[in-house]
Amino acid sequence: MSERPVVLEVEGVTKRFGAVTALYDVSLQLRSGEVLGIIGDNGAGKSTLVGVVSGALKPDEGRIVVDGVVRSFTDPAEARAVGIETVFQNLALVPTLNIAENVYLRRERLGPGVAAKALRRLYKSAMRREAREAFDRFGVTLPPVRTKVSALSGGQRQAVAITRAVLWGSHIVIMDEPAAALGVKQTELVLSLVERLKSHGVAIVFISHNMQHVLRVADRIAVFRLGEKIADFDVREQTTGTDLVALMTGATSGDLGSTRLLS
Amino acid sequence: MAHAESAGRSWQRPRAPRQRHSGRARRLAATLANYQSGGLLIALLVMGAVFTSTSGNFLTHRNLTVILLQVSIVGLVAIPQAMLVLSGYVDLSVGSVSVLAVAVFGEMARVDHQSLAVSIAIALAVGAGWGLMNGILISYLNFSPIIVTLGGFAGARGVADTITHDVTQFGFGDKFAYLGNGTILSLPVPAVIFLGLFLVGAYIWYEMPVGRHMTAIGADKTSARALGVSVKLIPCVLYVCSGIAAAAGGLILTSELDGASPSIGIGLELQVLTAVLLGGVAFAGGRGSLWGVLFGILFIGVLNNGLILLNIGPYVVNLAVGAVLIAAAGADAFYQRLESIPVAAAEPRGQAAEPSHEGTR
Repeated sequence: MSERPVVLEVEGVTKRFGAVTALYDVSLQLRSGEVLGIIGDNGAGKSTLVGVVSGALKPDEGRIVVDGVVRSFTDPAEARAVGIETVFQNLALVPTLNIAENVYLRRERLGPGVAAKALRRLYKSAMRREAREAFDRFGVTLPPVRTKVSALSGGQRQAVAITRAVLWGSHIVIMDEPAAALGVKQTELVLSLVERLKSHGVAIVFISHNMQHVLRVADRIAVFRLGEKIADFDVREQTTGTDLVALMTGATSGDLGSTRLLS
Repeated sequence: MAHAESAGRSWQRPRAPRQRHSGRARRLAATLANYQSGGLLIALLVMGAVFTSTSGNFLTHRNLTVILLQVSIVGLVAIPQAMLVLSGYVDLSVGSVSVLAVAVFGEMARVDHQSLAVSIAIALAVGAGWGLMNGILISYLNFSPIIVTLGGFAGARGVADTITHDVTQFGFGDKFAYLGNGTILSLPVPAVIFLGLFLVGAYIWYEMPVGRHMTAIGADKTSARALGVSVKLIPCVLYVCSGIAAAAGGLILTSELDGASPSIGIGLELQVLTAVLLGGVAFAGGRGSLWGVLFGILFIGVLNNGLILLNIGPYVVNLAVGAVLIAAAGADAFYQRLESIPVAAAEPRGQAAEPSHEGTR
């Protein structure tokens, strides 16, 4: 695992909103094919971290390194351009368009042929085929790609949004509470998709406050409290959800037990 | 939740055979079943059959040409209007903008003695300019679409009246008369313009990325913006197109009448909006079909024509159009219910036998 290249580094990032320090001196590393679980209570700084990495927020201090290059994003489009895709909680799907149309919204393929491209004609069959292939590759079973998104369940919508993020060429996907408000089966759909993406070499930041979900999919877990990263450990070394809860709530300072800490 | 999920899986099971059978016929059937436009087309054909059997004059080449001519102006203006409504906007100023453009045209051609080409160009530019103003105020400055274009509804006619002093200019010559009265391959010129622009509109609507973008803006503007759709530019351009179409419609009518009458365009916005909504474009945006709008336009045209052939008074026509529009609203609500039913109804038989492992095969 550790031989894999580091694709994303967050180095000493601090973000303040007026007098409030939402993130303080946070450093993270993410390797390709790795799932980094981020947990923390409300107000721990998870959303701020997502904002900084996805390009929606500009850090006051520190830097973001993507594939070894220092990046400074001014908006999410720039983050997207270097391969960081964020699947936000609202998913950004259009319910009245079908699955394939949503997957290719704003990245429509034109063609076939030069004339069709010049006339900006949609290459609908190619988009449907490629969408189908992508779902097959990642083992997502969905209704036919012509089904409107309004007819999909919450888990299926999540799967569409995640697959779209990966299909658009990003190798770093940030998921903000991907399994919140989903039923058991749908949660399973999403978590198994995360596992398959991992095996395809996609690096994933998985933000959640559901301990079971994080423990299942994550290789490493970073625990946040009050804007600081208070622990960062390998899942194989850490043991139970109880320890994590203790860290999140502050019952454990982090110096105790078997928890391996970064300062 | 679990219901919806299992229903989704039940759909994907027969997926492979379904795709093999997928063809034009199935797609057509789906269109007919799913959309208001299908029901409207059937209603249109039924109505045509009724009029054919009750009046010997209905199904004649001459009468069908008249119907096409009568719907051309409303149809022309309805194309950009349908796109605006699809995107979640509306343009109530089209009738007044058409009379303003005509007023400017009349003054240019008859009072200032400008050439026909210059007068037409300026009239179209007036429409475009008013549309641009609508677009900037609504799209970029976030003014309410209804209020801004309602202001245009009153304001543009006011400007037109100020220009004309209620005087009708006439006598624009034979060349200009061709626009409204000529024929191309035995079709009236206005009908050719309308059908040509409809085909262009259908290409934009169904075959170009921007058609999907309009749907996305109308359905969920926040998501559309997050994905990088031009949520401001597209509606703004559509308002400009709507203004140009309104001006063009006014010019065609002026040519038909050979008079730049100040009464041009009265009620046009409501006729256009009726056709668009009858055609199944959701007033809230995000859903609709341009073919449905064509059927809506033809439906109103055929209804008008047929009732007149049967010597039924014009008041009944208005009543009938109103009733049909309300019926269409009911049908739309019904179709939307239908769309949600399969999700709950299609319960897979072996559901319990195969828990949780959606992805594994």
